[in-house]
Amino acid sequence: MTTIPMKLTAAQEGGLRRGLMHGFSALWAVLHPRQYARPVLGALIAGVLAAALGVRMGWFPLWAGTLLVLAGLLPVGVVKWRDDARRFGPVAMLLGALIAVQGLHSIEHVIQWVQYHVLFWTMRQSSGLISPANAEVVHFVWNWSVFITVAVLVRKGVRNPLAWLLLAVTALHAVEHSYTFVRHLQVLAELRELGVTRVTAQGLPGILGRDGWLARSELTQGTFLCSLPVLTTAIRLDIHFYWNTLEVMLLVPAAVLFLGRKR
Amino acid sequence: MPGDWRNNCGRRTWDGCVLGVSCAVLFLSACAGGAAVVTPGAAPGPLVSTRVAARTLASATACADGFVEHTLPFSTGVRSRQLRTYLSNGAGAAANDLDGDADIDLVFASVDNKAKILWNEGALNFVDVEIDDLNTRAASIVDFDGDGKLDIVFTHRTSGVTFWRNLGGRRFEKQAPLQPDVFAYTLGWADLNGDGALDLVTGSYLAELEREGFTPAEMRGKTGVYVFERDGAGYKSRRLSGDAQALAIGLLDLDADGKTDIWVGNDFDLQDQIWSNLNGEWRQIEPFATTAHSTMSIDWGDVGNRGDVTLFSTDMNPYDTSTRTLARWLPMMAVTEQKRVRNDPQLSANVMQARSSTTGAWRNEAARRGIDATGWSWAGRFGDLDNDGLLDLYVVNGMIADDLFGHLEQQELVERNRAFRGGADGGFDLAEQWGLDADESGRGMLMADMDGDGDLDIVVNNLRASARLFENRVCGGRGVLVDLRSPGSPNAFAIGAWIELHTSAGVLRRDVRAMSGYLGGDPAQAHFGVPAGATIDHMVVIWPDGARARIDNIQAGTRVSVIRE
Repeated sequence: MTTIPMKLTAAQEGGLRRGLMHGFSALWAVLHPRQYARPVLGALIAGVLAAALGVRMGWFPLWAGTLLVLAGLLPVGVVKWRDDARRFGPVAMLLGALIAVQGLHSIEHVIQWVQYHVLFWTMRQSSGLISPANAEVVHFVWNWSVFITVAVLVRKGVRNPLAWLLLAVTALHAVEHSYTFVRHLQVLAELRELGVTRVTAQGLPGILGRDGWLARSELTQGTFLCSLPVLTTAIRLDIHFYWNTLEVMLLVPAAVLFLGRKR
Repeated sequence: MPGDWRNNCGRRTWDGCVLGVSCAVLFLSACAGGAAVVTPGAAPGPLVSTRVAARTLASATACADGFVEHTLPFSTGVRSRQLRTYLSNGAGAAANDLDGDADIDLVFASVDNKAKILWNEGALNFVDVEIDDLNTRAASIVDFDGDGKLDIVFTHRTSGVTFWRNLGGRRFEKQAPLQPDVFAYTLGWADLNGDGALDLVTGSYLAELEREGFTPAEMRGKTGVYVFERDGAGYKSRRLSGDAQALAIGLLDLDADGKTDIWVGNDFDLQDQIWSNLNGEWRQIEPFATTAHSTMSIDWGDVGNRGDVTLFSTDMNPYDTSTRTLARWLPMMAVTEQKRVRNDPQLSANVMQARSSTTGAWRNEAARRGIDATGWSWAGRFGDLDNDGLLDLYVVNGMIADDLFGHLEQQELVERNRAFRGGADGGFDLAEQWGLDADESGRGMLMADMDGDGDLDIVVNNLRASARLFENRVCGGRGVLVDLRSPGSPNAFAIGAWIELHTSAGVLRRDVRAMSGYLGGDPAQAHFGVPAGATIDHMVVIWPDGARARIDNIQAGTRVSVIRE
């Protein structure tokens, strides 16, 4: 039987600390814009100015302005990620790219949270900066893409407890969105049958949260499951804020651990 | 232990008792021979003498563990070509013994026709007679003039209050309108100033007045919440608020100061308004951390026999989240999104307020007790439907409006009424076996013993369908009906009294009230269900002025008249 040591030796502690330090610096190196800093900054400033002008003048809505900014950043990002792949290898590049896009995605959720809880906008108004992207099909595709990317990373060697946990969380998140996507399609079919075509079915409750499957299913009635705090009481906007925050909180340290061991 | 978590989302018996020790102490104090009896709102008063008459109730028809549906000769909303908001809100009903023959009669309000009295001839036979009063909304039956006879009072869709004085012999005479003649959608009755007479509270519904094209000039000084204090033969009025979207009014003590408060349940974004009586002045208070967003009905009762009132207000919240149901609600939701404001206590769901045993603060326990979602809910009322000593709950629902549900057949959101059986832990289980899941669009609803057999029957004023009477044939214990009379008092039917029935199964508490639920007038008769095998020790009456009377030798299966001397 293997004995698990209660305490790390000084050498082990030092090695772990050095590994983490190395992991952080390696992650910083991957994420840093390096020689692309000026093009990134330039594209960002130009995009924001153009978007602000367009939105201010009423030429296009806020979500289009946001897309304009992201479109301006995309070419520079692609060039940088190609360079990352050459410098650090494809796995590190993929990790960096995932952190960048999932980070931006989480910012969108933070903005939704602020719109709802701080600015007291209505649920419909609290759609973040790219409101047309707040659609069930986008959520479905996005979260399955995140799960597949994490699965590829694990397969390619990003294997540590946090990475495995991240894989499980992204899988569950994707399942949640599959559930809402299927129900979205079913509700649309019901609406079509009723002759209703101009009503969207966005924002339906999922598995978790207030009015979600866990809270309202006949299978959970009569058990503690249907009244679990947060999991059966939080609104959908909060539930998905928590999902994405959790994913970023697992993704970054999982990347640090991976890059720290990679030296 | 799984049983401790069992709920209907849910029946968690551990909640409110954090430690096993405190649970044991609370349990013992609650069960220790009535030592911990605290009747809501009652300050200890002097003992008064009473005369008591009791008669055995009619024997119940063979029980069938359910209700039998009867169609009544009344309907509202059927004459209208289109049912738009707020015709869609339907009308109420009231019950009381109008002709003194010991049978409870019914009064139905109608949004598109004349109101009707259904005289109860016994054995659930009714004779219907029109009242020459059009477009009525709420109905109540009270002795407004203190002559000892029960009169009829209506509110209206787009006008004020009408009074019909009982002349005896099934004749009524329309009285002069209330002054000032304010718009009144709903109303409530209670002795608010402690002078022994019944006072009146009215609330208007601004949304309907605006929809019907009333100009600000026409509405000036006539909308909002008014208190009418009895003053000799008339009333002294006071306007508490110019704003109101009042669908329900509850008059009961909410801040435990022993005085009756005013709770106006508002529709839409306007929050519920609550006033407390502070030395004769009405001061607005906010006792609730959570309220329903569109409060459509207000009811209260001693749920689970805890010795304290629990409050229940209904709202719109689908009772199932199937894709079929959601598709029916979504087009309406797409056009009616709510405004959001900071610290808004409103929640689009039924709310059940229970007082915390530790802090005394009200907290919403509707979801935990499994009753937060009952559809597009109108009247929601407590009553011991199975005579087991515990309050059950019935909610009627549904909506018909071509401007909201034009995508549905007949513009109707068809829903099934929800009946819940109350448990000793204060939770509720859906009671489909009772057969109360009718799918007509219910609005006003009341509970009363219509056939004199000691159990509560249910009367529903449906919209665009005949009214229904659900005859109670649920198997269970036996009932005790209590009529209080205070001859010579301007509040001869003791509205506001509380009655405690001390039984071997615990202390049961009921109050006598005139108005609750949605637009519904209550009979001045308290109903107790005594579980099979339980015995009655005695009864305590706490009269509206706080005076008390103890009555011994009460038997289950009797109707008891208590006359104050």
